[in-house]
Amino acid sequence: MARFHPLEVTDIRRETADAVVLTLKPRDEDADAFGFTQGQYLTFRRQFDGEEVRRSYSICAGLDEGCLKVGVKRVEGGAFSTFANEELKPGDVIEAMPPMGKFFTPLDADVSKDYLGFAGGSGITPLLSIVKTVLAREPQSRFTLVYANRQIKSIMFREELEDLKNTYLGRLSVIHVLESDSQEIDLFTGRIDEEKLEAFFNLWIDLPAVDTAFICGPEPMMLTIAAALKKHGMKDEQIKFELFASSQPGRAKQKVVSQTAATAGESVEIQLTLDGTTRSFTMQRDGTAVLDAALAHDIDAPYSCKGGICSTCRAKVVEGEVEMITNHALEDYEVRAGYVLSCQCLPLSEKVVISYDE
Amino acid sequence: MTNDMSIADYLAGGGKLSSPDNAPPLYRAELMRMMSSFVDSELAGSAGFAAAINWAPGIAERIAASRIVLEKADHAERVLELMGDFGTDTALYNRAHSWAARLPRDAVVDTRRMGGDMRLSVFHYPFEDWTDAVVMNVLMGLASVIQLEEMTHASYTPYAEVIRTVLPREKRHMELGLEGLKKLAASDDGHAAAQKAVAYWHPRVAETFGPAVSERFARLARFGLRHTENEPLRARWRADAESVLEDCGLKTPVAA
Repeated sequence: MARFHPLEVTDIRRETADAVVLTLKPRDEDADAFGFTQGQYLTFRRQFDGEEVRRSYSICAGLDEGCLKVGVKRVEGGAFSTFANEELKPGDVIEAMPPMGKFFTPLDADVSKDYLGFAGGSGITPLLSIVKTVLAREPQSRFTLVYANRQIKSIMFREELEDLKNTYLGRLSVIHVLESDSQEIDLFTGRIDEEKLEAFFNLWIDLPAVDTAFICGPEPMMLTIAAALKKHGMKDEQIKFELFASSQPGRAKQKVVSQTAATAGESVEIQLTLDGTTRSFTMQRDGTAVLDAALAHDIDAPYSCKGGICSTCRAKVVEGEVEMITNHALEDYEVRAGYVLSCQCLPLSEKVVISYDE
Repeated sequence: MTNDMSIADYLAGGGKLSSPDNAPPLYRAELMRMMSSFVDSELAGSAGFAAAINWAPGIAERIAASRIVLEKADHAERVLELMGDFGTDTALYNRAHSWAARLPRDAVVDTRRMGGDMRLSVFHYPFEDWTDAVVMNVLMGLASVIQLEEMTHASYTPYAEVIRTVLPREKRHMELGLEGLKKLAASDDGHAAAQKAVAYWHPRVAETFGPAVSERFARLARFGLRHTENEPLRARWRADAESVLEDCGLKTPVAA
């Protein structure tokens, strides 16, 4: 299982009014673990008011930069992004898991490929890593980047992209689409919608020549773009998606723990929610796991290994008290947030409310 | 730029996910179930075929069987690695079950997989001899190709990508079996034995497509994890199997 390691913040660069770029340095013994592939992300953790918050941010450095950088855009009410933008300073140490993610294609110095990227707002971070790496490692490949932002001043990495265009003359083209600032060409103003994409494919982008398309941005934008690419004949395997990790659920509340003392052999009332439906049944406190009791009541609860190893049967205890026989899959913070492996879960209180939907 | 859209709507609209962090709880559970079914079936398939290596009538067949054993274990490992991203203890996983264990030949296996591992029901039945293993490999291989093609559209892209890379090799396993079957069916004795094995395996492979009406399918479709219902996939397999068997001069059993 992946573990957290300390990273030293060696530099903080303000990129826009609400975004910073952090340069991070792992300890010498962790250097190998933090070797990354273009387009991957880091997951950070930090305690806020006694609760652990985890957030993932994409690496914006290219493979040949010799350092680890992530872009963090502040989101309204976001504990970690506000902390990174306002409190963090060079010399601080933060914790992160080794790089993860599969938003990349294999590199090959001998190929000549056409890549197309779509970025919305801070969705540029993994794409910047990909653009820099592909242009450096595949000398005959080309990259077209369509980059959507609200206005000029909210564009992250604007100068860096200009520099890249000059370094790799003729191999990188960047189309900025701005929602509210008007530009010389009408086509580049407004939101990326079907009509605009049609125009791009007619006038600016030779879609049949494109080998791979990368999309990273807000969900509706990604759906619109993917639909348009497919309509023009691109296949599933040619389109790479990276959804913002910001959509993950907010802070997990501590579970409600009932203090009711329990004695063995009594029957327990179970309320179980699965796919929006709640069902109640009683089970004996005789060493039977909640999952087995649910299956015996013909409830189609998810499970696989039944050995506390795979975590398919993960559920959340909303009310009541349970104990887990073994746990090889859930991390401490998940357990603290009330998650259990239902295959290993024995009820302790007279009533247990458990949900697979949270 | 941003307007709010729930992950559920995004998935229902054809959106794809690329990281465990974005998977809603029930989506995570269904995806894990799907991936562990693949892993367990590959491990059980590999383990079951291991015995067939020593039944192989020639060196070419021995190599083919070894290759199937090796590559199916490799495919299991690739998907198990994806499960590790969600928290699965991948080192313990392999030791969790006896992948070579089989039920008696005449057992009636519940297709709902009530046991401790998620292998498809067909992988609970034992092989009797080389012919038996070859016939099962051809019929199940044809089914796997169809079932895996369906998976290449799954909304969890890391999984879809692994399936896309293993699909050609799985197809090759089926073709290796088909070469073996053609050789066997050329002799009278071999033909009779193969026809007997077809009668045993055909209905059991048909069951791996799941029930014709599946409540879970609707949920999986909503999540973008499935796209074609069980029955049309099974019908495609029936047609493929019939044509392959016919090429070998074998008859398709009448469905019960």
